Amino acid sequence: MIRHFDRPLFFAVLLLCGIGIAMTYSATITDIVLADYWQRQLVFTILGAIALVVAALFDYRHLELLAQPSYFLLLASLVAVYFIGEVKNGAQRWLNLGIIDVQPTEAGKFLLIVFFAWYLSRFQDRIRRFSYLLGAVVLLLLPLGLVYVQPDLGMTVTLAFISGALILINGVRLTHIFLGVAAAAAAWPLLKGTLQNYMLRRIEVFLDPDSNADAAFSVKQALISIGNGGWIGMGWGEGTQTQLRFLRVRHTDFIFSVIAEELGFVGTVMVLLLLFFVIWRLVRIADLAQDQFGRLITFGVAALIFFQTFVNVGMNLAILPVTGMTLPFLSYGGSSLVSMMVAVGLAQSVVMRHRKMDFS
Amino acid sequence: MDERATRTATATSIIVRLTLAATFLVFCIRLYSLQIVRGASYQEQAAVNRLREIDTYAPRGVIYDRNGEILARNRPSFVIAVIPADLPPDDLSTELDEQRIALERLLAVLEAHTDPEMAIRIAEVMFLHLGREDFKNTVESAGYSLSFRLIDVEVLKQDDEGLEVIEKVPTLIPNLSEPLPIGGLLALLERAVAHGTQGSSYKPISVLELVDREQAFQVAEETFQLRGVHVLQKPVREYPYRELAGHVLGFLGPIPKLAADKYKDRGYEDPNEPVGLNGLEYEYQDSLRGLPGRRLVEVDILGRESRTVNIAREPEPGLNLNLSLDIRLQEVMHNALARQLEETGAPHGVALAMDPRNGAMLGMVSLPSYDNNIFSEGLGEEYQALEVEDDTRRPLYNYAIGGLYPPGSTFKLVSATAALAENVITPYTTLVDRGPIYLPNYFYPDDPTQAQEFVSWNHKLNILHGSMTIVEGLGLSNDIFFYYLGGGYPDFMVGLGSERLAKWMRLFGYGELTGVDLPGEVRPVVPDEQWKRLELAESWTTGDSYNMAIGQGYVLGTPMQVLVSTAAVANGGYLVEPQFVQEKVDTQNNVQWQYEPVLGERLPVDPGLLNFVQRGMWHAVNGNYGTSLDSRVEGITVAGKTGTAEFCAYDPEIQDCADRDHEGNLPFHAWYTAYAPYEDPEIVVTVFVYSGGEGSTVAIPVAQETLHAWFHDLRP
Repeated sequence: MIRHFDRPLFFAVLLLCGIGIAMTYSATITDIVLADYWQRQLVFTILGAIALVVAALFDYRHLELLAQPSYFLLLASLVAVYFIGEVKNGAQRWLNLGIIDVQPTEAGKFLLIVFFAWYLSRFQDRIRRFSYLLGAVVLLLLPLGLVYVQPDLGMTVTLAFISGALILINGVRLTHIFLGVAAAAAAWPLLKGTLQNYMLRRIEVFLDPDSNADAAFSVKQALISIGNGGWIGMGWGEGTQTQLRFLRVRHTDFIFSVIAEELGFVGTVMVLLLLFFVIWRLVRIADLAQDQFGRLITFGVAALIFFQTFVNVGMNLAILPVTGMTLPFLSYGGSSLVSMMVAVGLAQSVVMRHRKMDFS
Repeated sequence: MDERATRTATATSIIVRLTLAATFLVFCIRLYSLQIVRGASYQEQAAVNRLREIDTYAPRGVIYDRNGEILARNRPSFVIAVIPADLPPDDLSTELDEQRIALERLLAVLEAHTDPEMAIRIAEVMFLHLGREDFKNTVESAGYSLSFRLIDVEVLKQDDEGLEVIEKVPTLIPNLSEPLPIGGLLALLERAVAHGTQGSSYKPISVLELVDREQAFQVAEETFQLRGVHVLQKPVREYPYRELAGHVLGFLGPIPKLAADKYKDRGYEDPNEPVGLNGLEYEYQDSLRGLPGRRLVEVDILGRESRTVNIAREPEPGLNLNLSLDIRLQEVMHNALARQLEETGAPHGVALAMDPRNGAMLGMVSLPSYDNNIFSEGLGEEYQALEVEDDTRRPLYNYAIGGLYPPGSTFKLVSATAALAENVITPYTTLVDRGPIYLPNYFYPDDPTQAQEFVSWNHKLNILHGSMTIVEGLGLSNDIFFYYLGGGYPDFMVGLGSERLAKWMRLFGYGELTGVDLPGEVRPVVPDEQWKRLELAESWTTGDSYNMAIGQGYVLGTPMQVLVSTAAVANGGYLVEPQFVQEKVDTQNNVQWQYEPVLGERLPVDPGLLNFVQRGMWHAVNGNYGTSLDSRVEGITVAGKTGTAEFCAYDPEIQDCADRDHEGNLPFHAWYTAYAPYEDPEIVVTVFVYSGGEGSTVAIPVAQETLHAWFHDLRP
């Protein structure tokens, strides 16, 4: 079993984490308040690596039993947030659990992956019937709606992407796809009316960067940082945009720009290559998975990592609007890093058990 | 899995991998485009971000007197400023105005809300930034009221011929002596920052100036966390002798708005750069300023300098000026004149001292004077004017070169020289003072009642001087003698007449500026027949020549011109150019420029003849019954000439001249001009007291004390 542990995947992830620590160091060392963040990130990485191994050792098939409870747990916590949640920065996203505030949607990504992997694999032979597909859509829209009204557009889109990807990968009829697109188009005007101001602003800023000086400044500085890198970059710890702090939130949202400035085109492509190698490896695991549940779980993890990478890098490159989404394994942040490592651990769990008759 | 599902799964896997590859490719292309294709442009923008060209002011030249006493120097001082680009921008997605909050915190740190003095000082600086109109509008639209004061503001206008003339326009300016509430200050600050953002938003905008070291450090500590707030060093000009040499040195101030373009052409980029606005500070502005240095520094996002990348140009310190002025003599002159003014209640006066051999100015006092330090700490043109113009005696005015007065009997030096040179008289010609003379009316020559009476000052004292030559004529300052010289008398003698008087007046420098190295000199008109016809539509009369010969009538001159004309008599007939600055010296004490005395052509008068004019001046001091015996100095022979000049300060309200005495006589200016030693003159002194009264008794002591101090205490 252990010999099927995907070592290239594991080391690629560790390498990314190492780069993340190094770049966090470079991005924060000129700031007195943040100067020790690279050490924290190192601790998070160690914790994450342990969590990854533990998750790999855990048999993912037991999760099937937890699928339904996890869905109801998700719904319950979202409803709780709706009624008794903490309001921070104009959004009601947090549950006060006495000691800490918890954002249910962070874990919600995993709960939803597990639940849809279970639902789709359970009814795989019947999913081509419209009613089962509709069931999946309804089951998705319930938590989605609750997240949307928090309001949290980024998370809504993330959850929709992951679940949507799972439904598509599991297989649907072409006619149903068209039907879905048509329904979405019909619902759009309705949805548009409920778009929160800040959501519209972000879209507006993306289309017309000058409309919000602050966000436009961040994006502009990111572009300058990236362009400043040139072929081989200014060198680690030498990027002027980074070190003189023209680049904002550089250890989290814009760590990609730090990499681009200091490591240049060559270094950045290598890092991107590593990221896509990780996703590629996950897709390979999905292909190898011995059952549809495992296959879908792995695809879910791949979709999650891909989506965050896509949105974050897209934002850094100014081809997507500004969202607060972090870059997997590279951005500073403990919960994000550990949860990504757990996700990879789940995929490892799948690949380690992909031979049905493997009793070694 | 059945076969179909396997096929689907394979297809899905292929599509997913293709999507991944495509995304990767898109990112790489975009990266290539940003980093390689447009890399140079972004690298340039990154450089713009972090690199600033910073002007470093060169230390302004120091001004020394002839003995090396410092008259003007630079004192270190600090400025608290904000850099608009570095202030937190207003984040539109929040209700808060981040920039306003930052400025509010700055004002709180400066204690503008509790300290009225501080509030006033900040408002003053804001007034400088915004100007009158904007200041008023900003405060009022923020909902606060202002009180106002009325002053005359000089405005540059074009006259009918398209020439630029300065016109005085009465203008209301805000009264800044009352503290503004914090809301008003905040509105002003925001406005100033908004202005700054329009130009180069990296230029610091001062909030508080003239901060001492201690206070600067304190603010620097407290504002460290305030983005965009900086404590900058800015030297302030200091004049240790205060009002003693106010008019000589002048003062500094921000570039006047009227002249902003001209300064820009001369390379003054910063409109708030302090420049000399008066006196030597103005005249030698470019030399004193030196050349600002320029360096390239790297700054972080807060605008703080992290390191100097490159020094593009080292600042070149301004040149120091060595004056011929002796501040100790200046002090003697100042104190003596001030005492005399106080005793007589005269509004203003002038005392001048110069070396007649080369024009080197030894002293120049124009009272009232002003403490030029108040301008360094000051408020800009309008308030500078205000502070001293509250004084109706107009202390800003340099009467030595800016005031035109009838020179009275001091002008007899000119008429006497002219009469001798033009052979109207010989040195031995005697003329007799038998009392007033009567000039027959031109149209009724036979009607004695129509005749015009001309008296000499001694007639009022019931004294007749009898017969005299030019030497006694000058020594006694007999007017009858000079009436004859100037206009002659029918059937008796031919006088100089208008043309020759005018010619000699010009030769003595009255028609031109003296060329002293100070701004603001005025030039009188030399009256002659043509001038009178054009100006007054009247023809020149013998009476006009009479009056002109004794320095009355249409004759006007500045005290500086009287000084120069006296020097010409003293030095044997050379017109010298008065000059304060003798040397420009660099910081290594190398002389970069030395003044070459300008001696005009010798006056067309035989030195032997001019000697009789000198003897006349000797006689005034040393002869029997001389007019200025009180100006004698122990051990030194002094020669002098008094002057009493009737003047008419026309008052439109009474439609007559002001200050007539009970007999209807006009008031007098008191003059005294002298040189010493008689044998080998090395100092000329001219004293003028406005409305100082008859007989020069007011003016003589000032000259006497000056000469005494020079020869007994100060002479090198």
